[in-house]
Formats: sequence, structure tokens, C-alpha cells
Amino acid sequence: MPIVEKSLVSVDRVEHLEVEGIDVSGDWNTFLRSRVVTDLDVKIADWVKGQPQGETISRCWQCGTCTAGCCLHTDYGLEEFNPRYFIYLAQIGYEEELRRYASTIWRCVSCNKCVERCPKGVKVEEVIHTIGTYLELSGGAAESPADRFDRAYTENLLGRGILDEAALFRTYERLEGRRTPARELLRLGLTLLKSGRLHTGPFAHRTRGWNRMRKVLEAKLTEDRARRRASVPAPPVPSGRKP
Amino acid sequence: MNPILVLGGGPAGLSAASELAALGAPTLLVERESYLGGNPVRWHYSLLAPDLRPAEEVIGALLERVEGDARIERRLSTTLTKAELGSHGYRVTLATADASETRDVAAVVLATGFDHFDSRRKFEYGYGRFPDVVDFKELEGMLHDNKLVRPSDGQRPHRIAWVLCVGSRDLQVGNPWCCRLGCVVSIKQAVEVRQKHPEVDAYIYYMDIRTYGLWEDLYWKSMQEYGIKFIRGRIGAVTLAEGGSRLLATGEDTILSRPTEVPFDMIVLASGMEASAGTKQVAELFGVPVGPEGFLTPRLTDLNPVDSGLPGVFLAGAATGPKAIPDAVTEGMGAALRAYQYARD
Ligand code: SF4
Ligand code: SF4
Ligand code: SF4
Repeated sequence: MPIVEKSLVSVDRVEHLEVEGIDVSGDWNTFLRSRVVTDLDVKIADWVKGQPQGETISRCWQCGTCTAGCCLHTDYGLEEFNPRYFIYLAQIGYEEELRRYASTIWRCVSCNKCVERCPKGVKVEEVIHTIGTYLELSGGAAESPADRFDRAYTENLLGRGILDEAALFRTYERLEGRRTPARELLRLGLTLLKSGRLHTGPFAHRTRGWNRMRKVLEAKLTEDRARRRASVPAPPVPSGRKP
Repeated sequence: MNPILVLGGGPAGLSAASELAALGAPTLLVERESYLGGNPVRWHYSLLAPDLRPAEEVIGALLERVEGDARIERRLSTTLTKAELGSHGYRVTLATADASETRDVAAVVLATGFDHFDSRRKFEYGYGRFPDVVDFKELEGMLHDNKLVRPSDGQRPHRIAWVLCVGSRDLQVGNPWCCRLGCVVSIKQAVEVRQKHPEVDAYIYYMDIRTYGLWEDLYWKSMQEYGIKFIRGRIGAVTLAEGGSRLLATGEDTILSRPTEVPFDMIVLASGMEASAGTKQVAELFGVPVGPEGFLTPRLTDLNPVDSGLPGVFLAGAATGPKAIPDAVTEGMGAALRAYQYARD
């Protein structure tokens, strides 16, 4: 669809025309991706409902009580974190839109206020995580800094059997491809140590006999992941790509 | 013929008693409170939806029929404490504060009604803590007495919010059913407020609007003629705003997909209907089956909604579920007819 003026629509909807690496789409004759919902797919809701933690999804009637009390949405002001909306997208099966929140959805802090208040007995917090799991397993989500931090955290824990904050920070820095200057690190470390929020001493933490445990755990995790991945239907081809 | 016992003096019971008398049957009307008329009288209901007729006119007409009829023996401040099935109806024990007596009755109409949900149980809404959070039955009284003021300071509110489905459709308080009347009564109240005080803004927070059947008309009018605003979202909690002088309704506007924390001068809770204490008591005394909601269950809700299935026991009004006054009156008539047929045979 041709559009009137590029600046009036969000960037991700503009279809750029490039010739030899140069954007030649003008301001007045650009094309944009359609906003029309062209496909819905019940398989997401079915999958979520089939998981032990997700079975209450079909109870939701979209009243918004959960979002009304969700600290992320209200106090923290994270507008795009809206549990009611995630459930709606999963319910109707609007995967393309849902996928935009693949990383945001993990921001839930599990305070469970939503579960406490939901009039329909939806285990909102669990359902939200199950939707997140679906998105993760079915792939295609761009990794966010929060995802990378999660990855560093898991690696750290799996590697040593106990959390080592200094090592966690180093791994995370590596994943982000950045390096904090030594002086800044020292200042940060001292502040955290003084306030009792950092427990790392001069030696790295490690759980005794962890290697044996780790093997068992890794085998189990790999098996679990493979099983769950196999149960997830393939992600759809994004619609609305053609002008 | 032994008298036919009508338990409960609300709209359904009054209707049953006056109908029985009209059929020529001796009637014994027993009411646990010291007055007749039931919840509408107890809470001073103002106008009744959807015709906006004063409740007094409607209940008054029923009362007149009953009170003016010598064939109806009225017993106030009286409860039933025992019921035994005999060969011709029941032998019942009636008790007042200081005496009790045994009577033989030919048949029984149970019209023991409902209680309004106690909004304190929905503690997030602050009812009982914040004076300006009022229950809609209290607003009825205010409208009836023409005194629309904030309980906290006696001032006229500028902006009022209604919260629907309080204590209804809510598993957190254990009441999954719909109260049937909260929508239409709240809309009626908002209309009544705007008729009398057009300067007061009225907002209704809803999940669904259930103004079923012909009541839809009032819903349309409320928007088109009275400028009442509807926001789709259930309020999560009510807190204090502006140093405690106003109330904050925190919710999600699900159409905007945004949190809303709008200050109001007064918040009205559309509290639901529960089976009354009396209804629960007679269910036990007579052994009438009750549903998971605690209301009495007719044997066939479709073919014969006023028959309990037990010999000589008939049901009417909100004792079998949330009901509007016209429906309660109709059922009272039906139950009277069935009880009369049973007693006569
Ligand atoms: S509170 Fe419960 S029913 Fe309401 S939108 Fe949230 S999950 Fe759905
Ligand atoms: S548990 Fe998660 S979704 Fe629920 S209110 Fe807390 S942060 Fe929001
Ligand atoms: S009648 Fe309206 S207010 Fe009452 S429970 Fe039903 S939807 Fe809610």
C-alpha cells in the first residue's frame, strides 16, 4: 500500500527500497506493510493449554484486572508489558504480534498480584511464562540484553553450582561485547560489597563435587528442552510482508 | 383447608400471598423481619429499572393488597424452626423472640429471597475503610431521600464511578454467577443521578454490559441522552488520592491497553446477590436441593421453575437465583397457583 508520508508511520512498517545499498524510497511514494490481521492460529492456545502451567489460559475473559495491578505495567511504566494482552494474542492465535513481545514477556517478576486478583482463577503468572516458553521454543525471537543476562546467569550457575557475581558480570560483559573500565568496576564492586549485595570474595565460588551433579543436570536439561521443542509447532511465515 | 404457608415477605412472597387470598385459600405469611417488603423496603430502593417507577409505588401496591386482606394472617419477626411432613401437608414450628407455636399447613411457598453481597469481602475496593466507597444499595437510599452527597464531607460529588460485578462473576470471593441486575441498576442509578444533577459526571467500569431483553433500551438512552461514559475494564483496587480527599480507581482501560488511575469523588459498588440466610436455612429444614451457589434448585428449571420436587413445597423469587422484581412477582403467582392445586387435591 502506498503511503502519504513516511514520518507518520512507525519505522518497522515501512518497506524500504534499496538500490545498491542506498535507500531510494522517497517520502511520498514509499510502501508500508499492511496492518490488517490476515491469519489466526489456535495452535498457540492449544499448546499453552496443554502445558501443566498453562491450562488456565482458556478461562481468561479479558477484564484487565491483572494488568491493572501489574507493577511492571503500572508502577514501572513498562507499557508493552501487558499480561492481559499477551493472553489475548495467544488466545486468538495472532502469533506475529505476539512474537514482538517474545523478550518483554520474560520481564515478569512473579509477584503474583495478578493471580491473587484474577476473578476467573487464571494462573496469570504461570500462563505468561508458558506463553514465553512457547515463543522461545518455537524460535525466531531476537535476543535482548535481558535474554543475554539470563543466559549468562544460567551458564554461571551450571558451571559452578553456585552463583559467583564477579564471574557472572564477566560472562555478561563478554556476551554484550563490552568492557567496563577497571576503575569503574572497582568502584561498583566496592559499593556492592559495602552494601552487602555482593558476596564474591577474592576466590571464585564453586560447589564441591559439582562436576558429577552438573553432568546429570545437563543431561536432564537437554532432554527436557528437546522434548519440549519437539512438542512446539513450527513458527508461521510472517504475514503481511508483501505490499 | 389448613392455611398455605408463605415464607418471606418480599416481592415474591407478597405476590404469592395476595394471589392465594384471591383464590380463596387461607394464607399464613411469615416474615423474619419486623416489616414486610423485603430488600426494596429494607434498603429504601429509589426508582426501579427499567421503567423508573418509584419502588414505593410498586411495593406499595403489593403491600396494600396483602395488608387489606383478612384472609391473610401476617406474622412478623417470626422464623420457622422446624418442619415435618404429615399426611396433609406439613407440621411447622414458628418462633418469635419469646414464644413458639406449632401449626399445620397444607402447602408451603418458599420465598426467602437473597442478601446483597457484603462488599467488605472484596477488600481491594476499600468498602468499609473509605467512606466515599459506597455500596449501590446505599446509593439507592441516597437517591430515594434526594441526598446525593459524599458520606465523608457532605459535599456533592463532581464525578462518580460505578464498578460492576462486585462479588459476582468472581472466583476470588467464590461467587461465579452473574447478578443479573447490577448492570441495569447501575445504569439506572447513573441516569437518575444525571437527571437530578446534570453537573455530575458518571463513569461505569464494566467487563460486559448485561442489560438483557428490553432493558437494552435504558443502556442506549444512558449514553445517548444522559452522556454516561463506559470504560471497559475491571477495577483492580481503590486507593486514596489527593491527600485522602478523593478516591483513585486503578484499573486497565482494556480498549486503550493502558493503566488508568482516575480520581473520583465517590465510587459505587454494584454488589451482587447471594442466597439469603433464610434461604439457606429453609433448604436445610425442608431438604430442598441447593446448587453450588446456595440458591434453591427447582426440579425442572425449564418446565416448572416453581416446583421443588418435594411434596407440597413450592419456590418463588430470588430464593432460586438472582431475579428482578417483575420476575419475582410472576413466580409468586405461579407458586401460589401450584400450592393451591396441591392443597386442594
Ligand atoms: S484478570 Fe484474569 S480474566 Fe482478567 S484479563 Fe487477567 S487473566 Fe484474564
Ligand atoms: S506476576 Fe508478573 S504478570 Fe503478574 S502482576 Fe506480577 S509482574 Fe505482572
Ligand atoms: S448483571 Fe452486570 S454487574 Fe451484575 S454480575 Fe452480571 S455483568 Fe456484572
